[in-house]
Amino acid sequence: MDSTSVAADSTLFSLSQEAFFSEEFLALSLRIAVILAVGFPILLIVRGWVRSFVSKKYATHYGMLAGKVVFHVGLIILVITVMGQLGISLAPLLGAAGILGVAIGFASQTSVSNIISGLFLIAEQPFKVDDIITIGTSTGFVISIDMLSVKMRTFDNRYVRIPNEMIIKTEVINLTKFPIRRFNASISVAYKEDVAKVREVLLDVAEKNEFALSEPEPIIVFDMFGASSIDLLLLVWAPKDEYIKLKNSINEEVKARFDKEGIEIPFPHVSLYSGSASKSIPIEISDPKNQLSAPENQDTKK
Amino acid sequence: MGFTSFKKTIKKDPFMADSIWKTYKLNSEKDLHINIGDLHVWIRKKDEEIWVAHQYSGELNEEEPEGLEWSRWAPKSIEEIRIAPVFQDLPVIINSEYPLKVTKGSSIQIFSRIPVWLQISLANSKYVLTEIPSIKLSRTWFGSPQEGELCYWLSTKARRSLAGVENKPNVINCPIWISNETNEDLDFEKFCFRVERLSVFGVKEELWADETKIEYNGEEQHSDVTMTGKLPSTIGKGELMSKPRNPVSKSFATRTFKMFFDDAHISAR
Repeated sequence: MDSTSVAADSTLFSLSQEAFFSEEFLALSLRIAVILAVGFPILLIVRGWVRSFVSKKYATHYGMLAGKVVFHVGLIILVITVMGQLGISLAPLLGAAGILGVAIGFASQTSVSNIISGLFLIAEQPFKVDDIITIGTSTGFVISIDMLSVKMRTFDNRYVRIPNEMIIKTEVINLTKFPIRRFNASISVAYKEDVAKVREVLLDVAEKNEFALSEPEPIIVFDMFGASSIDLLLLVWAPKDEYIKLKNSINEEVKARFDKEGIEIPFPHVSLYSGSASKSIPIEISDPKNQLSAPENQDTKK
Repeated sequence: MGFTSFKKTIKKDPFMADSIWKTYKLNSEKDLHINIGDLHVWIRKKDEEIWVAHQYSGELNEEEPEGLEWSRWAPKSIEEIRIAPVFQDLPVIINSEYPLKVTKGSSIQIFSRIPVWLQISLANSKYVLTEIPSIKLSRTWFGSPQEGELCYWLSTKARRSLAGVENKPNVINCPIWISNETNEDLDFEKFCFRVERLSVFGVKEELWADETKIEYNGEEQHSDVTMTGKLPSTIGKGELMSKPRNPVSKSFATRTFKMFFDDAHISAR
């Protein structure tokens, strides 16, 4: 390296250093820092306030959505303000965004579909945050309803993300939409049992169960003549929060009471008849000597 | 009668001194045992704590059985405890054993007898330790499958008079006036009795609630319900033993007679 080039390098370095630490640059940096330092916490506070206000006044998921809208709008305003300070004009950026938007639009059809489905979900409100829903094979609590997806926590503590588009297309069962639920207990008794007595016993069990509601009153429905049993349905209501307790306790109580009353809960069995069902199977006892001689005869034939 | 303090009430009324509804000083050497109807309650002072357990006669084997499920409280200081009669924490659906038709334009008075709850609280601070029903009532739903409220369920005779009826220490006598203001008959079979808005009074050896007036305005309309805050004049003077749980307003319009629609009769599945 010759002396001329070394001198040019040192001049450039001193010039850039001067520009970098100029008074104007420092003032600009300070302004941006103040905007971010003040704007961002204010944005977070406003988001929290809006979320809490809307949640209390309407519903939790509306609050979450309103908070997100406020946050993203505020963030865009902050970015535009910072860009204005840096002297970056928005016009060429918006032009580029228009062209880019078409390209991105084609590439992100699924996301757009999810966003639109999300809007339908919010408007239709088939479930809320904290509801228990079943979608496909997953059942759990709704954690959040977002623009792209719904997040769920299953009872075995797994995190499930379901795209909004899928929710719009598939069947969703909301287990906690209504305040009470009915448990349909399938109960089978042997054909020899007196159905009137069984009915009486089942209604007594339902009446004494601590989770079963008196009204709507428990009902026994004669379901069908099964292959090995008479099949009954015991329909009992409980508050939605106590559904599982009802399900567990009433089945146990029915079993215990049937045991006490001597009512048989049958298992599947097959009766074999030869010819008419009213006649027993004829059994023929053959002479063992003949049985032994038979193979001998066969051998002789050979 | 005004809303006098409970302590004052106890000192004034001789019935209160003899009954279980009073303040007790706990003794660490011997448990306090209270029996009302089928309910047995044990209160124990132990290691600066208050222990409470209860059982019902059907479950009871001995005088103080082993294996009681105790609940414990550690108050700031062990003081006297107060036992007060209170109503249930939910409305009660009164189911009349024999349905009664109230013809159009007529008014009737009925008496329902509601099992009392025991409220155990610290006498000075009025901190409520626990509340125990003297009789366990089953729960029911009042409303439609989409909306309604949880209530207790009670079958009573809805008597027109209490003359000659045996006095029980664990029930509160509730006088109710029902007026049918419509041009149709009211099938009085069940109604929602909002007991959480009622006071409990001690009269001689009985517990009484203030009078309730219900105006029936039709099946699809809300009924006007008024808690008078006073005993009927025929009952005489009583002493206030507990205030309403929910003294929002003395008069309000609410669903009282319309009951549940069950579609299980159409399809069980």
